[in-house]
Amino acid sequence: MISDSITNASATSAPTARDFGKKKRTNRSAKLKQSKLGLRREQWLSQVAMINKGDKEEMESNRRIGSEKPDQRDLPRPVENLDEDNNGTHRHESFIESLSNSPNSILSGMNSIPNFSSSSSSGSGGSCSGNITEEEDADDDGCLDDWEAIADALAADDEKHEKENPPESCQEHEDIKQSALIGGADVVLRDAKADSQRRKQKSNQAWRPDDKLRPQGLPNLEKQRSFPVMNLHFSSVTVVPSSCPICYEDLDLTDSNFLPCPCGFRLCLFCHKTICDGDGRCPGCRKPYERNTIKFEASVQGGGLTIRLARSSSMFCRVVCEYIRWYTNFKYIKVAISLFLIACENLAYL
Amino acid sequence: MASKRISRELRDMQRHPPANCSAGPVAEEDIFHWQATIMGPHDSPYSGGVFTVSIDFSSDYPFKPPKVNFKTKVYHPNIDSKGSICLDILKEQWSPAPTTSKVLLSICSLLTDPNPNDPLVPEIAHLYKVDKSKYESTAQKWTQKYAMG
Repeated sequence: MISDSITNASATSAPTARDFGKKKRTNRSAKLKQSKLGLRREQWLSQVAMINKGDKEEMESNRRIGSEKPDQRDLPRPVENLDEDNNGTHRHESFIESLSNSPNSILSGMNSIPNFSSSSSSGSGGSCSGNITEEEDADDDGCLDDWEAIADALAADDEKHEKENPPESCQEHEDIKQSALIGGADVVLRDAKADSQRRKQKSNQAWRPDDKLRPQGLPNLEKQRSFPVMNLHFSSVTVVPSSCPICYEDLDLTDSNFLPCPCGFRLCLFCHKTICDGDGRCPGCRKPYERNTIKFEASVQGGGLTIRLARSSSMFCRVVCEYIRWYTNFKYIKVAISLFLIACENLAYL
Repeated sequence: MASKRISRELRDMQRHPPANCSAGPVAEEDIFHWQATIMGPHDSPYSGGVFTVSIDFSSDYPFKPPKVNFKTKVYHPNIDSKGSICLDILKEQWSPAPTTSKVLLSICSLLTDPNPNDPLVPEIAHLYKVDKSKYESTAQKWTQKYAMG
């Protein structure tokens, strides 16, 4: 009779816990789709808090069971094991989602897991790529603006140059902070994943089949991590030519950001238009340009952003010039006032 | 725009002349008409010969290929008696990226390795396929007769 009661309790508790986990998974997947990288941190923290609350509730339930049957000491052990399993499932939800095939999937509901994993992975990939592209554009724009500022400073007086130095340094610091934040975020994510894996190893020895499946899951994660790093390296290594190889005219900001072909051949917009009016083939790889219309549009947008930033920097320079002029005029006014006072004193004596 | 590119190419040609080739404008004031000399490749029946080539750039250069013609008679499957050259990169496979020096190197390569499958003079191509030794001897005779002296 005792053994029967134990089995009944475990059977009743298991499906309820699994159902609860499924609900959480659906909610989390939806949130992931909607949110961006910045919001993920807050969600992660909230998820941790929810897990803690869940643990507390389970502890309360354990206490109740203990109070109902204080004489029997063997009862708490299997319940604790189940609790550990639940904790593992909640904490390692991402890991389970990443697995495409799991031999322990007995229930029919388990078949839905690959759908969640595929949708979540695709969403996360898209958002990551979007963020990376934005960052790259910002970095490029900043560098170009700095160059323009330096050119303007050289053309202007020394005073202007001295005053313009501090904002440049501030911009550089901001860039450094941004990069540090990005790196920190990656590190935090990696640490969290490592900790979760270690906990799982310690807590659940029964999940040995999952251990075999880990090598399949890890490369995917590594690939996702390496993707942004590769982009950063590529962006840093590329050297933008200063003149068009077709007409040997200087490349301006728009032309420098223009990359119409995946082979990497750069040219100015005028030459590109002339070639499109002709045979429409890339001079570098001799393949038609028609396949690259999307990248063309994207690069044009980037060019627009650079133009806007250039205008803002030029406005800043103009404001500084006007301030300097006002200050010099103010000096003259001071001199005039002092002379006027001296004249008044002399008149008073007479 | 074309004049800027041509003058730039001329400067590069003078600073870094390609092997077995030299080129420059016929007259200083007219930069759109060049004359080039190509030395016959060493491992070809045209060895020892000096071939004169005319290069005429159009106002649409580099979006249109230049007109290149041999002024010296050459016994070659892809070069006719008028000096026209059957070379794909000067026709449908033209690309604005290569420079004039690269075009001349391509012509040298054509002298070394003719393309009998796309001939401009079918008789020479046929002879090249059937009796290569006779083709080579005839080419050498033409070289000695027209390209030396």
